[in-house]
Amino acid sequence: MIEIFDPNTHQPDDAQLASLVQPTKLHRRLYIDEQIFELEMQRIWGEAWIFIGHESQVKNPGDYYTTQINHRIPVILVRDRSGAVNVLHNRCAHKGAKLVDTVEGNARAFRCCYHGWTFNTDGSLLKIPNESGYEGTGFNIQDPSNNLQKVRCASHRGFVFATLSDTAPELNEWLGGAREVLDNLCDRAPDGEVEVAGGVLRYEHDCNWKLFLENLNDTMHPMVTHQSVVQAAEDYIATLPPEASDQRAEAEIIPPFGASYENFEDSGITGFAYGHHYDGGKTSIHANYSVNPDYWAAMLSSYGEQRSKEILSFNTHNTLYYPSLTIKSAVQNIRVMRPVAVDKCIIETWSFRLKGAPDEMLQRTLLYSRLINSSASMVGPDDLEAYSRIQDGLQSNGSDWVEMHRQFNRDKQLADRTVGGGTSDLDMRTQYQAWQAYMGKLAHHIPTGGVSDE
Amino acid sequence: MSDQTPDLRAIEAFLYDEANLLDNPDLDRWIELYSEDATYWMPVLPNQQDPLNHISIFYDDRVMMEVRRRNFVHPRAASKDHAVRASHIIGNVRCSGSNEQGDLVVTSNFQCVLYYRREQRLYAGTYLHHLIQSDKGFKIRHKKVNLINCDAPQKTLTIYL
Repeated sequence: MIEIFDPNTHQPDDAQLASLVQPTKLHRRLYIDEQIFELEMQRIWGEAWIFIGHESQVKNPGDYYTTQINHRIPVILVRDRSGAVNVLHNRCAHKGAKLVDTVEGNARAFRCCYHGWTFNTDGSLLKIPNESGYEGTGFNIQDPSNNLQKVRCASHRGFVFATLSDTAPELNEWLGGAREVLDNLCDRAPDGEVEVAGGVLRYEHDCNWKLFLENLNDTMHPMVTHQSVVQAAEDYIATLPPEASDQRAEAEIIPPFGASYENFEDSGITGFAYGHHYDGGKTSIHANYSVNPDYWAAMLSSYGEQRSKEILSFNTHNTLYYPSLTIKSAVQNIRVMRPVAVDKCIIETWSFRLKGAPDEMLQRTLLYSRLINSSASMVGPDDLEAYSRIQDGLQSNGSDWVEMHRQFNRDKQLADRTVGGGTSDLDMRTQYQAWQAYMGKLAHHIPTGGVSDE
Repeated sequence: MSDQTPDLRAIEAFLYDEANLLDNPDLDRWIELYSEDATYWMPVLPNQQDPLNHISIFYDDRVMMEVRRRNFVHPRAASKDHAVRASHIIGNVRCSGSNEQGDLVVTSNFQCVLYYRREQRLYAGTYLHHLIQSDKGFKIRHKKVNLINCDAPQKTLTIYL
């Protein structure tokens, strides 16, 4: 048994933590150990840039949206009167009450429900009732510690991230080469911008948060896990006249989940520093979607033919900005990870409107989310069944290790990224190199291939 | 469509029959209660107006129902390895007359205790049914399920409510 926490001081041993990740295998404790989960919340979720929301959710001064930056810490995304976007700790500076307990709205100022301390939308303290009681007590209303505390935040093309860390690299550097997929999502808008639209679906998962992330670029599972829905859809489509199925977006969306190993291999996987990765690029399971003619016309008039083709032919499947944000640029939805406990997390499915595109584009995004990424879909529940069974199965001490060998020796190192086959475990290796660096307090590095440990 | 005065007892009996086909799920028979142009909607917001430009928990037309009923009994759908057992109670059934299409507009309250994956859950809310009335009985053209916790995080739901 690896001793990670000192039995007396409960302090973690960084080297032992790092040893839970080997080049091609992981220790099962990563998924089932509550102390490791709590430490992940500090060392990964407290050090990485976490997706908070999108600037289009807070268009006007005073608009706010509340969420959590990890499993506990509540924050407010708010546009202040100067137009700046802030992420504030959602905690009254007085007695500590959560200041805002509604999901979204507009406020001229935030007033605490308990003693009426009132704060500006930039977090500064505006007013304390019956203030004279503080005179001569040493209390200083000007002291910034009496403001709502700001969380370090930054945004890229409207996507707002925040970090509890003072030492994390700048957002731009942290996103690195993986930024190209966020850019592609926005470039797909004829006006070059996206906005949140169509609401959010929240889906409870009885599994460790990492199991969901591992599945994003796992292309060895669809033909097994999703065989039933593909066959059900194809069986039904076969009963229809061809002109009827041509009209249905479902006929484009569902069947690619049954694509062959060769097809998925061709999509490739690309890994970056800090655990980010995507699959697809030249091709993906979204590559053969038909193009809405009004949308294409709008793209042509914005970008011209060559640039439009370039934008739409960059066809990624899932992209992970480790650990909180996963996007589908070709479909214009994102899924946001909200960890809850070692064996529980919540996934939020958000949709985006491509500004300047016809409404049908948003409707297809929403259809996709209902069909694939929801609690009542015919795809997501079969994935979740697998994650839950892993969560149960890893209680077994029959073996301590989970393997990730596939194509280990074929990973290819390029300047700012590692590329590998679409059915490789490069995605997992990329995530767990970042996990090891965050948790073991090691330097982050561009993922590299290497020699097998066997 | 016929001009018969709505018979509340007959409507109630029809709703009970539908619930029965969901209690011990038989989607092949359940789908036959629906018209070819039917829709089944479970919004994600209270008072949600739009099923197309806003996300929903369910928004199925007949095509999706046809795929779903085939998937529901497919031996390779691991999420269906666990049987669904449900118990619906329907009450407060009211018919407020006909809409522009001539369909009967029926509202009711429901509670559904559902057992799935070693866990018992409670769903509650209101149903809205648009019923086509003919000499052969009723067909459902539209069913809307308003869950009282529609905007809460949802667990896997492999069956219609």
